Amino acid sequence: MSPTMTGVVTIVQEGRFQLTGDDGVSHLFILGHSAAAETEQLTLLQRRQARVRVRYRKAANLIGDTVSAIYLDE
Amino acid sequence: MPDDVPVSPEPSGSPQALGGAWQGPTYYGRSQLKPAPFEKWAVGGYIFLAGLSGAAAMISALLDAGQGGPAARPVRRGRYLSLLAPTIGAALLISDLHTPKRFYNMLRIAKPTSPMSIGTWILMGFSSFAGLSAIGQFLSDRVPGLRWLRGAARVAQVPAALAGAGLSTYTASLLSATSTPLWAAAPEALAVRFGSSSIAAGASALSLGEPSRRLRRKLDAVTVAALAAELGAIMASQRSYERKGVADALDGSWGRVEDWGANRLGVIAPLAVHGLSLLASGRDRPLPKALSSAASLAVLAGSLLLRVSILGAGAESAARPDISFRFAQPGNLPEREG
Amino acid sequence: MDMHPRVLDEPRSEFDRMIRNESELTANVLIEPGKSYGFFTDTTVCIGCKACEVACKEWNNLPADNLGLTGNSYDNTGALSANTWRHVAFIEKSGGDGGVRDVEQPPFQSGWLMMSDVCKHCHHAPCLEACPTGALFKTEFDTVVVQQDICNGCGYCVPACPFGVVDINTLDGKAHKCTLCYDRLKGGLEPACAKSCPTDSIQFGELQDLQQRAQARVEALHEVGVENAYLYGVPGAPGATGGLGHLNAFFLLTDRPETYNLPAAPTRASNRVGSSMLSGLAAVAALALGALALFSTRD
Repeated sequence: MSPTMTGVVTIVQEGRFQLTGDDGVSHLFILGHSAAAETEQLTLLQRRQARVRVRYRKAANLIGDTVSAIYLDE
Repeated sequence: MPDDVPVSPEPSGSPQALGGAWQGPTYYGRSQLKPAPFEKWAVGGYIFLAGLSGAAAMISALLDAGQGGPAARPVRRGRYLSLLAPTIGAALLISDLHTPKRFYNMLRIAKPTSPMSIGTWILMGFSSFAGLSAIGQFLSDRVPGLRWLRGAARVAQVPAALAGAGLSTYTASLLSATSTPLWAAAPEALAVRFGSSSIAAGASALSLGEPSRRLRRKLDAVTVAALAAELGAIMASQRSYERKGVADALDGSWGRVEDWGANRLGVIAPLAVHGLSLLASGRDRPLPKALSSAASLAVLAGSLLLRVSILGAGAESAARPDISFRFAQPGNLPEREG
Repeated sequence: MDMHPRVLDEPRSEFDRMIRNESELTANVLIEPGKSYGFFTDTTVCIGCKACEVACKEWNNLPADNLGLTGNSYDNTGALSANTWRHVAFIEKSGGDGGVRDVEQPPFQSGWLMMSDVCKHCHHAPCLEACPTGALFKTEFDTVVVQQDICNGCGYCVPACPFGVVDINTLDGKAHKCTLCYDRLKGGLEPACAKSCPTDSIQFGELQDLQQRAQARVEALHEVGVENAYLYGVPGAPGATGGLGHLNAFFLLTDRPETYNLPAAPTRASNRVGSSMLSGLAAVAALALGALALFSTRD
């Protein structure tokens, strides 16, 4: 199973978003093309500063990870 | 280029001779363009199937109009062959999208400047009418009470054939309306090449299973005419490539596939075989049917290899800065700027 | 550039809210929908600091990519891509012979060329004309933007671009390129790269103003002996050829375009659609007529 991370959606640009974990460390995620979530929904999550859990895979040659699923965690 | 544009002080800054290779600088040998992110066999396979289906729809409609009842068998086969593009072809296209779940967004607009948009709607129209024609054929064959559907199939085959004409050649326009040097260098010749290759493929596919020697001869004659047109287009495009300085893109392995697979196997060999066969059929000993079938298979293989090799060689022309810089020179601009 | 009088109203260094129409203060331009905006990049004052690359990545939350060193002078970014929308090119024309750098340089960066490459936001943008979903569109600021909720990653815009700018991100499956900070423009802010450029090599403004400013700069450079200076991307100049019209993001260069990895005479790809379609259809129609004649003979 791919790893997951929980945090608050703090920044959203297009299909990319920043998740800030409880430890205060932020990570950059890219919404994968096969994920059920759509890019418009990310903006709504950011506006609510929603707490989510993402399932991700590390991306090669990038400092960022690809998200395959987003779950609300509130 | 205006006279005041500087030439690099490097020794290679001599005036660019027409038809010569690139003499100027590159940026660390990096590509200047980006190649199309198409999976070559998926998109090449679609273009082949689109050409085959479109041509099959056209030829079966023409056979039905010219011969009527005696040609019922190849007409039926043609109507079923035309289903390849709407089914397998469309699946190949959708699989090549990088966000396949949004494939329907192609239907949001109709944009005349985009051959991909034009082609989407040609495919939609073709699928509808060719589908109707095939369904009408299928049901009228099997259900006694639905014989009248044969007439409906005949009606639907006309718009199917018209859309099929578009389907057989718009893909060349799709490749030419990019900045990939090999594709942009000879737009008209590539269109004639793709269109005639499609007609040859359609006629060959119908000739392959055809038991009637009379009809087979007619279909092979259509193949000969199409292959002759394709040969002319090959020569015209080669001249354009050399004049515009992109011929080097055909030096690599894809160029070899184009030379041996598309041209020699797909055009010259079948042209010779069918040509001999048609000449010999006046006498009592026609060429063996197996040879004719082999030629038809060669046309089909060559038609597929033509599409795939042009995609591959095009990608190479985009990746090589010496070719893309040589192509994007003022000497290659069309006379009329607009 | 003259300072806008409103600058005097904001003497503080720290702010607790956005400044209304901040671009008036930072770029001396009021951003209004319906006008044509772009970049004038004067490569003769670029110092190669890459602040533009960093600002672009930061604002647009783009992941760091192309990790590692290229060995191509100071250019470790390489090229524009789906995750890199500003790319500073470095070309060392002088020095480096025998491993010893020159201690004297010709003026105006003529010995070392540095140029911040970006999407050209063409007037007749080939990427936009190629897009079959309508994802690429012209904004109210006359810029070209990819709508991320429409793009299905067909990738047709990628070979259409004559400058090799737009690219598909295979991870999220969509096409990406510089948006000219569309979201910042809507908020009255100038683009991140232009704001961060310390030498005003990247100037943001209304296109006509920029073109006038650029022409004056070229003439001034010619007067002080930089004969090689020319504009790339203004109407009639290299880069704006072949039906492209003009480039909203245009450049002042001092060497031939290919040195900077730019094409000398790009073309508007959609100009080839008509003749290609007609030729193909004509050939197919001719073959069809011949076939009909053949099929109609009863033998």
